[in-house]
Amino acid sequence: MADIVARNVRKIYNPDKRYPVLAIDEVSLEVRENEFVAIVGPSGCGKSTLLYMVAGFLDLTAGEIKVNGKPVEAPGPDRGIVFQHFALFPWKTVLRNVTYGLEEQKIPKAEREKIARKHIDMVKLTGFEHHYPSQLSGGMKQRVAIARTLAFDPEVLLMDEPFGALDAQTRGVMQEELLSIWSKRKKTVLFVTHDVREAVYLADRVVIMTARPGRIKEIVDTKFAGYKSTEEVLESAAFAQKTHQIWKSVREEVDKAGPLDG
Amino acid sequence: MAVSDTQAVAATGRSGGLAVPSPLVILKKYYSVLLLIIVWEVVARLNLVTPFLLPSVSSILKGVYKATLEADLIRDTALTTYRALLSFCVALVIAVPIGISMARIRVIHWFFDPIVSIGFPTPKISFLPIFILWFGLFDRPKIFLATLACTFPIVTATYLGTMGVDKYLLWSARNMGTSENSLLRKVIFPATLPQVLNGAQIAMPISIIVVIVSEMLMGGGGLGNYIMVAQRFADSVSVFAGLLVISVLGYLLQKILEKVRALVLHWHEETQHESK
Repeated sequence: MADIVARNVRKIYNPDKRYPVLAIDEVSLEVRENEFVAIVGPSGCGKSTLLYMVAGFLDLTAGEIKVNGKPVEAPGPDRGIVFQHFALFPWKTVLRNVTYGLEEQKIPKAEREKIARKHIDMVKLTGFEHHYPSQLSGGMKQRVAIARTLAFDPEVLLMDEPFGALDAQTRGVMQEELLSIWSKRKKTVLFVTHDVREAVYLADRVVIMTARPGRIKEIVDTKFAGYKSTEEVLESAAFAQKTHQIWKSVREEVDKAGPLDG
Repeated sequence: MAVSDTQAVAATGRSGGLAVPSPLVILKKYYSVLLLIIVWEVVARLNLVTPFLLPSVSSILKGVYKATLEADLIRDTALTTYRALLSFCVALVIAVPIGISMARIRVIHWFFDPIVSIGFPTPKISFLPIFILWFGLFDRPKIFLATLACTFPIVTATYLGTMGVDKYLLWSARNMGTSENSLLRKVIFPATLPQVLNGAQIAMPISIIVVIVSEMLMGGGGLGNYIMVAQRFADSVSVFAGLLVISVLGYLLQKILEKVRALVLHWHEETQHESK
């Protein structure tokens, strides 16, 4: 069981300096166990900041975040993260990148190789175990990053615009694969994106944030039950209506943020 | 789509080769040097200038051969190589930890930053008289001076490299459970390595320069000393022979360092994308 609870979270950058920036203000959010929640909002609204605070990379200025009932104090492997620019270790092969987290969990060598190969297979990169990241395309690098994070089996999956650096076709394929992986191995997912369609397609609920300072504007239910295939969901009137509704809401905030923040 | 890009990479699957190029390729790469040698030889043989001012290339090569037989050129080459390499290695051992800790520890940065800013542009060779006073006349002042001169570029490159380590690499390591104490060994050091090697490649010629100039100024053997002695005896063939050996030595050391770089950074994009 893993859930994320954020209460009255506030983040001020450079609080002691001359120009403090209020990035996030009074954000309260609950993500239920095994729920897939996406956060959308205009650039600079603090959606990644919120994710980094859940991950434990950034301190909160006020409020609290609990994962699994425990307050977040530092980064840890109970909350796996996938970054937009992959953050693979370029000096390690695909296999060694995936075994890294397992090694840090003190899992015996033979077993971590087995787990790593299973996850490399899951993201369809069998045969590339001994390639270095510099030999892979962007989509392949992101597959490695996803395999690396899922391999050490975090309870919570944090994704920071994971497909933002990929071309449109690769992004589509990756979204489908993420959904199929997630449906087989449910995890609590917090997914930051600026792509409204992606958010509506992937998530159970979409959180819309306001322009800076980031507050939660509204939360929209985006679960589509009763469809047989991906195409059917994407072509349904309900999907189009939700996407349009959220897109309009985000657009209002983009306009509010003004040209300087755009 | 995913399958096709997978196959594309598999088909070109390079492994950062270190293949030795054929002699013809080498000749093509250095034909301007060859041209220069030919022009030199022609000018020298036309007697436009006296052989004292510009001996022919062939006579220089003969000089190298003769001096090699007499073993003094070999001894001096070995001495210069030993001094330059030792200084370079000692500098690496000193400079890399300083550079990394300057980037990580505030007090160390506070202490070394002004020293490096002032020391880097100072010509280290000007310390020679003091070093002679302090360390005597033979190997030690030369090695200490070259070490000092090599330290600055390596410290600076390592410091900048450590400062520039991608925040997300550190974050993802910590996310996977790497402790603050082992970040240095597991992430920061390997991520800084390309920059450390940049610094090393700048330091290597500096080491040779400082050793040669010290030898020229204070004697005690070595190629710098060899040239100065030859000049005193008005033996210009030997002066040029010494010069030839110095340039070949510098070239070889730099090439070796390039090979080491390609081996150490076999994972790096620069090695992957290197064309034959």
